[in-house]
Amino acid sequence: MTGEKKKQPDLSVDCGGIKLKNPVLTASGTFGYGEEYAEFVDLNRLGGVIVKGISLNPLPGNPPPRIWETPSGMLNAIGLENPGVEVFLKERLPFLRTFDTAVIVNIFGYSPDEYVSVAERLDDAEGVSGIEVNISCPNVKAGGMVFGTDLQATSDLLGAVRKVTRLPLIAKLSPNVTDITRFGTAARDAGCDGLSLINTLLGMAIDVRTRKPRLANSTGGLSGPAIRPVAVRMVWQMAQSVSLPIIGMGGIVTAEDALEFILAGATAVAVGTANFVNPRATLEVLDGIEAFMTDQDIGSLRDLQGKVMSR
Amino acid sequence: MPSPRLCNATILSHTAAGRQYYRLVLKIPGTVSLPLPGQFVMLRVTDTIDPLLARPFGISSVLTRTSIEIFYRVVGRGTMLLSRTRPGRTLDMLGPLGRGFPMPEKGIQPILVTGGSGFPPLHLLAKALKKQKYRSVIFIGARDRSELPPAGILRSFKEQASALHITTEDGSAGKKGLITDLFAPYCSLPDRSVKAKIYACGPTPMLKSVSTVAAECSIPCFVSMEERMACGLGACMGCSVRRRAGGYLRVCKEGPVFEAEEIAW
Ligand SMILES: Cc1cc2nc3c(=O)[nH]c(=O)nc-3n(C[C@H](O)[C@H](O)[C@H](O)COP(=O)(O)OP(=O)(O)OC[C@H]3O[C@@H](n4cnc5c(N)ncnc54)[C@H](O)[C@@H]3O)c2cc1C
Ligand SMILES: Cc1cc2nc3c(=O)[nH]c(=O)nc-3n(C[C@H](O)[C@H](O)[C@H](O)COP(=O)(O)O)c2cc1C
Repeated sequence: MTGEKKKQPDLSVDCGGIKLKNPVLTASGTFGYGEEYAEFVDLNRLGGVIVKGISLNPLPGNPPPRIWETPSGMLNAIGLENPGVEVFLKERLPFLRTFDTAVIVNIFGYSPDEYVSVAERLDDAEGVSGIEVNISCPNVKAGGMVFGTDLQATSDLLGAVRKVTRLPLIAKLSPNVTDITRFGTAARDAGCDGLSLINTLLGMAIDVRTRKPRLANSTGGLSGPAIRPVAVRMVWQMAQSVSLPIIGMGGIVTAEDALEFILAGATAVAVGTANFVNPRATLEVLDGIEAFMTDQDIGSLRDLQGKVMSR
Repeated sequence: MPSPRLCNATILSHTAAGRQYYRLVLKIPGTVSLPLPGQFVMLRVTDTIDPLLARPFGISSVLTRTSIEIFYRVVGRGTMLLSRTRPGRTLDMLGPLGRGFPMPEKGIQPILVTGGSGFPPLHLLAKALKKQKYRSVIFIGARDRSELPPAGILRSFKEQASALHITTEDGSAGKKGLITDLFAPYCSLPDRSVKAKIYACGPTPMLKSVSTVAAECSIPCFVSMEERMACGLGACMGCSVRRRAGGYLRVCKEGPVFEAEEIAW
């Protein structure tokens, strides 16, 4: 022991033009609009908050049951219930703006026009650090085909949103595709500044006694630790082939989980379902990353990012 | 930053109570708020990630400033794992959460109705009402004798009530039939001179018939609803129930206690 104090590691990152003081974010839809968790988490400590998905108009969401627990995970079919962009700007954003943390607004729509309108509205707003575009939504005008599972629809949609905003633009990709890297490439070519992956994996559970699906919506999105290996693999593949910064997510519960994503190539990470299980999960992940870096004498996150070795 | 709604609760006592229930007594730090009647807590039943989510439970008694009592029934894997935990162990606890039963105005007569395992929050309410000198009429229904609240709680209900009515579907205790068979005629008594308020907790079909009776008799009615939950904090939007005026209400946030007429039964 030298008695010398180890240097504080540098946790700051630049995520496609969004400056984050540390890489720990909250995954959209799992942290409300920040307010729900402010009593447990000092929001000033977070790298940023990605808020619950916002659409042009308020949406009531799906009928219950909306969630079903599965081994080390859960299925959800919330139906993107949200108060709409105007209420968000008037009633939710002002609270978030009182904190020293990045505010990334997740948006979605059922037609390209809806996405564009929300993005335009946010572009004018004060205190938005970036836009995350959830493309795992059905395009009602194109027969309900999900934007994010069709390359052309993905390009067109992201290109249209790009035109109306100067804010950093992050594409939130669906994992329900054969080769996610092609969608990352499409997002880059459409002018996006970063990628978020992964959104939930489409799943289903059935009650064998009643023979009915567990969810009123029949299918739902699988999240939680159960999906983590799939998410790490996708982030790793993406980092190999697309040079955009990646926000990695999917089943992160601990700092070690988050570090897997960073080694696989993520610039930042988002904690999702774990918030439901432990409201302080984000801070525990953050403290754990810092402790790991101090312990291993790693001065900057850049020394970890994408540094998984070949076997 | 110690939150008044997050702690490690230590199991003080954990015993079988009757043939169907477990009684769990938890020690909570003095920094945690005490639950109001009808509020609930989320308990993690393991330290591992399976099962992942915490389970919601009502509070039946606040025993001291730092201890609370829960009664539960084993219905699945989570409650099975919970039933194997021993005194001395700690459990992650989130709560008290949600909105509980509003206390009645002076002079109002409380009518409490419970079915099956819905009795815990009504027991806490019955005690609070008695303390404030209300004369509660309490209706307790069950499928059979073993589904009734455990003996100690049943005795306590008797002490809190000005009148106690019991039914079982098989007639093994109390009157044979459904609790609404006694409750409905009581509510529609033609000579009912005092104003009343109904408080109910139990299976959804029971709550639905209680709310129908309440509406017919024009008695305000409050029901405690159950739905599967993930966060307990209003963030995930998972526990929503249909609202009569359109849209949805979150059981964990706007509830679990609702005015019966708010719900689209
Ligand atoms: C606000 C609230 C208060 C509650 N208070 C109590 C209490 O005081 N005592 C008690 O014994 N139980 C209470 N419950 C129900 C309790 O939370 C469930 O029994 C428990 O979560 C079941 O977990 P499990 O893993 O054992 O069962 P699972 O394997 O998850 O489910 C087994 C069965 O129980 C049913 N079930 C599970 N969760 C719920 C739920 N939230 N609502 C309705 N049905 C459910 C399922 O449909 C299934 O048939 C309460 C629920 C809520 C929402
Ligand atoms: C209840 C719930 C709601 C979600 N809502 C959204 C949403 O509105 N927009 C979005 O892009 N992703 C949404 N997601 C996906 C998460 O942001 C995240 O991508 C996914 O859950 C994987 O991370 P996790 O396993 O850590 O939860 C939601 C997930 C859950 C569980």
